[in-house]
Amino acid sequence: MSRVRVLVLTGYGLNCDHETAYAFTLAGGDAERVHINDLIDGSVSIGTYQILAFVGGFSWGDDHGAGVIQAVRMGTHLGDALIEFIEKGGVVIGICNGFQTLVNLGLLPGFGHDYRSRLVALVGNDCGNFRDDWVTLKVNPRSPCVFTRDLNCLELPVRHGEGKFYAEPGTLVRLIENEQVVLRYALSDGSPAQGRFPENPNGSLEDIAGVCDATGRVFGLMPHPEAYNHPGNHPQWTYFKELGKRKRAPLHPPFPMGTALFKNAVDFFTR
Amino acid sequence: MPHRLEIALRSDLRDPEGETIGKKARDYFGIRLDSVRVVHVLTLDADLSKKQLDRIKDEIFTNPVTQVASYRPLPIPFDWVIWVGYRPGVRDNPGSTAVEAIEDVLGQVFKAEQSVYTSKRYCLSGPRLTRPEAERIAAELLANDIIQQWKLFSRETWDEEIGIGWILPKVVLDHEPTVTIIPIDSDAALEAISRKRNLALNPKDIPIIRAYFLSAQVRAERAAKGLSDPTDVEIEYISQARSDHCNHNTFRGLFRYTDLSTGKKEVVDNLFKTCIEAPTLSLMQKKPWVKSVLWDNAGVGRFNDKFHYVITGETHNSPSNMEAYGGALTGIVGIYRDPMGTGKGSKLIMGSYGYCVGHRDYNGDLRPRLHPRRLLDGVIEGVRDGGNKSGIPTPFGQVFFHPGYMGKCLVFVTALGLMPREVHGTPGEKKTITPGDLVIMCGGRVGKDGIHGVTASSESFSEHTPAGHVQIGDPYTQKKMHDFLLEARDAGLIRFITDNGGGGLSSSVGESARFSGGCKIELEKVPLKYAGLDQWEIWVSESQERMTVAVRPEDLERFLALSRKHAVESTVIGRYTDTGKLHITYEDKTCAYVDLDLLTSGFPQWTFDAEWIPPRHRGLVEPVLKEPGNLSALLFDLVARPNICSKEWIARQYDHEVQGTSILKPLVGRERDVPGDAAVIRPDLESREGLAFAQALLPTYSQIDAHAMTACVIDEAVRRVLAVGGTLDHMGGVDNFCWPDIRYHPLENPDGKFKAAQLVRSCKALKEMCLAFEIPLLSGKDSMYVDGHLAGRYGETHKVSALETLQFSATSVIDDVDKCVTMDAKVPGDLVYAVGVTRDELGASEYYAHLGYIGLNVPRVTPRDLIPVYRALEQTISEGLAASVHGIYRGGLGVHLALCAMAGCLGMEIDLRKVPVDGAARNDTILFSESAGRFILTVDPGNRAAFEAHFGGLPHACIGRILPETAFKVLGLDGRIRLEADVLDLKAAWKRPFGGLI
Repeated sequence: MSRVRVLVLTGYGLNCDHETAYAFTLAGGDAERVHINDLIDGSVSIGTYQILAFVGGFSWGDDHGAGVIQAVRMGTHLGDALIEFIEKGGVVIGICNGFQTLVNLGLLPGFGHDYRSRLVALVGNDCGNFRDDWVTLKVNPRSPCVFTRDLNCLELPVRHGEGKFYAEPGTLVRLIENEQVVLRYALSDGSPAQGRFPENPNGSLEDIAGVCDATGRVFGLMPHPEAYNHPGNHPQWTYFKELGKRKRAPLHPPFPMGTALFKNAVDFFTR
Repeated sequence: MPHRLEIALRSDLRDPEGETIGKKARDYFGIRLDSVRVVHVLTLDADLSKKQLDRIKDEIFTNPVTQVASYRPLPIPFDWVIWVGYRPGVRDNPGSTAVEAIEDVLGQVFKAEQSVYTSKRYCLSGPRLTRPEAERIAAELLANDIIQQWKLFSRETWDEEIGIGWILPKVVLDHEPTVTIIPIDSDAALEAISRKRNLALNPKDIPIIRAYFLSAQVRAERAAKGLSDPTDVEIEYISQARSDHCNHNTFRGLFRYTDLSTGKKEVVDNLFKTCIEAPTLSLMQKKPWVKSVLWDNAGVGRFNDKFHYVITGETHNSPSNMEAYGGALTGIVGIYRDPMGTGKGSKLIMGSYGYCVGHRDYNGDLRPRLHPRRLLDGVIEGVRDGGNKSGIPTPFGQVFFHPGYMGKCLVFVTALGLMPREVHGTPGEKKTITPGDLVIMCGGRVGKDGIHGVTASSESFSEHTPAGHVQIGDPYTQKKMHDFLLEARDAGLIRFITDNGGGGLSSSVGESARFSGGCKIELEKVPLKYAGLDQWEIWVSESQERMTVAVRPEDLERFLALSRKHAVESTVIGRYTDTGKLHITYEDKTCAYVDLDLLTSGFPQWTFDAEWIPPRHRGLVEPVLKEPGNLSALLFDLVARPNICSKEWIARQYDHEVQGTSILKPLVGRERDVPGDAAVIRPDLESREGLAFAQALLPTYSQIDAHAMTACVIDEAVRRVLAVGGTLDHMGGVDNFCWPDIRYHPLENPDGKFKAAQLVRSCKALKEMCLAFEIPLLSGKDSMYVDGHLAGRYGETHKVSALETLQFSATSVIDDVDKCVTMDAKVPGDLVYAVGVTRDELGASEYYAHLGYIGLNVPRVTPRDLIPVYRALEQTISEGLAASVHGIYRGGLGVHLALCAMAGCLGMEIDLRKVPVDGAARNDTILFSESAGRFILTVDPGNRAAFEAHFGGLPHACIGRILPETAFKVLGLDGRIRLEADVLDLKAAWKRPFGGLI
């Protein structure tokens, strides 16, 4: 069987394209970095891929709201093609700047196949600044998200200035009731952060770190799973290594690497 | 007619940007505000229909979930409104991306005279807020008048229809580009021109320049091109190339060194050649991993079978001192172009920072342009945006506070890149140019930016005068260019590449033309930001985000197609030749025609008198100090000192894991909050190899002797890299000197000769250490004149000179990142070892500084004794025998034991009687001496024998053990507990000083 083809966007200030492509490759995918303009001018067609990745970065400098201009450009030139891609069974992930782009495009939350309405937003962190730190994430086991199958907890880095998940109360309720909230910021034991800083690093409502559409095939999250592609990326790996050497604990940290998310997406097509 | 769009968050949402301003107003000035709301303003200077305006508002700039927007002033309550916008010609990055978005949505291109300007309106609420308070917030927090203009409105002066009014910071030069002929009738005439035009020509260079232009052969050749006396383009070119910045005249100077205590004299001819170039060349013979040094924009070392790494570092002090944010941003984005322009081009993989500033809480009489607190805020933010928006991790950095940096701050920026060993079958680090190759300028456009700062600052500002001398970097444009150039490189399209930094085209084209032996440039082809620049301005402008590339004519079409795909502007501006001439025309008329080798021949060397007075003869002595009875209180106070305490707030603002390469992060330990010894990245995601990197700064040691300062700085950088798993077999270095003026003047610089002697001593120490530790200097830079004149209380001014400062960076390649170690204590019951000898070396230590002393006994470095210890440490780490390793740096053993305990959130019991000492006979000396060459290790008791076997005959001792609870206990020389604290309390004290900052 041919390998699952993954299109990883690049260009215009995106900057996590290399490691995202690498993480998909580790997961068994056939990942290709494609410049946004190659999609727009038609030299590359998304129809020949199964997975589309909107990656982290500062597209167009993010000067007018993170992901805003990327969404405008993608929507203007590829709006219909993106929706067709999803409707035909394609899988989409948006990480950090990519998540911001997906919500600005309206591809998320995607209630009832409405992929055009902007209903949620990622706004400036409550702490007032860009922040790089690791967070614990609790996975919603009832979510239809194809990326998080069989996962329970994750530890991943966040690196953003605009990651506070915001929506009107009605939208939040609907997201929760539909089980579209995929990831929540949590304390180290997996219990909800309940807005506590820095476990919830940005003040996200309901501790929301990632959501998916109703099909579970469109997924957006603020943390960076592609940056946990090697055991040595974990902030405490040297500690776990030392405990492991003394047979007091396994050699590695307790939760799976971020690459597990990509593996699930690739496996979605192969099994 | 212009249109003004105001955008704000909905009133029921928190405004974190506004809250941060409110917090700073309270913390910095004691001004209490009820609320601050920020309105983002876009002024569209373009003819647009109502329908188009609505699309712009609704489809691009307003988030329907969170924002409100209007082309009329938004009705947001306030007591005062402060409007802040850019001055004309200042880089407005959001304005440019707004134009891109509007063009995309409307499907039409803006005309040259159309533009978008961004600004902000701050709505301040506070019923008792006075006008002077609002003015203070505007001038000292929100706006910097060098690049920005501001206006204040009270409720009474605010017009709900007109709002902020109409301010279009458009550059209108209304000037016909003109080449001016420079008279060279006499030395005095040229000197007068030099002064008038701020060329800073060295008086000794003037006769050489005149002789060239007066020679009969030169005049005959020039006459054939329609030229006689030199043009301003030519004189500006020569002045740029001969500047200390470009030519390193100080380091290449002749130093007459005298030791005033012995009368012994010595002549040091050319510090660069003797102390930097010679040792590096000799080490290259022994170190085949050194691939390219001393000629390109950055040095190149081997990383693995597939890649080389690239490193360089520099400072951006003067611009940051004027405009902290823009200066630092331009600095980091600028240094990132150096690896891009090394060999055939490198991918950026890491950046780092070093800030030396006055104390954040300074409240004395001196009035620097920017208060150190504001300056540091701005510098941090500049490097944050420059690094984060470039997608380059910033996993290492340091800050040093000292009043000497009030005159001028230091902003060190360092960049590392990765290049393939082979590009299209040729070595990645090599490049060349063949006559006929095209000269291409890529990236940003040219404006009046950075044209010798001083000239611009002496012009009076008018409404449309570009504020040229301070720039704002544009990481977005540069990131696009970076991605484009790497793709062009891999397609084999780049023959030669270099960056446009200081000196602009004058320097990049002037220097690259030497590879082919000449060039012919058509200046009118250079794309400009606005019309009206003189030819010389186009030639020397330092407008940012530009690279100069040599491309074969047959590759041009592919190169330009790739450039278009990446939305990067590339323009052919001329051709490389082999005529031996730098030939510049403007609309077919020659405006420069000079021999390229003019700059390399005949100019006189600078000379300096250097007089060394040893510290004892300067009256420095050890303080008469009896041992403190309360060592616990002392430790609590030491860990809370600004140069020791936690600066987590800075590290967290920097993305240190983009690219997915992070192995050892800036903050380590159980709670991820204690700085590690060095950063490690795994830049080739498909390999196990890691690159370790660290830097050190110890400027206070220069108060005693810059030789000791230099040796200790290098030793610290080396130990940092060794502590995480690096090796002396591969230890690369980068030297960054920042020195006060060393030119003696009886009134202006009476101690210039001493500072010159300090420089000579520092360079000698650099040479000694590099040879002893076998560290080739992969790159380095010097920044002289770190002095400032500050106004005082009575209208007098004070010259404030920085401490003689060297930042040293060290790199090492680790064959398997799995071997890396961190400094946090890990397992209760582990043995704590001290490695290395503690001496009575408290001179210029943090402990003495805390008590108000300098002292005399500055730490000395004896590599011969240290190298066997370092080798044993390498073995220990490589065999996995150490659970943690940490160097002992500023603050000494006591402070660094505490840091290991804090990082592990575990206690420690230490017996000072066991610490290997030589002459250190008191508890305080052992705890706080800053002797070089020492480490703290924790070791599994099961590994004790194997560990000790490596250190047989070397200074080491088991001095204690890790406790399961968080007690930190130190037994003194009398065997009694002399220091007792809870590790968590210590940690709280260490975090407190800057703990409220985010």
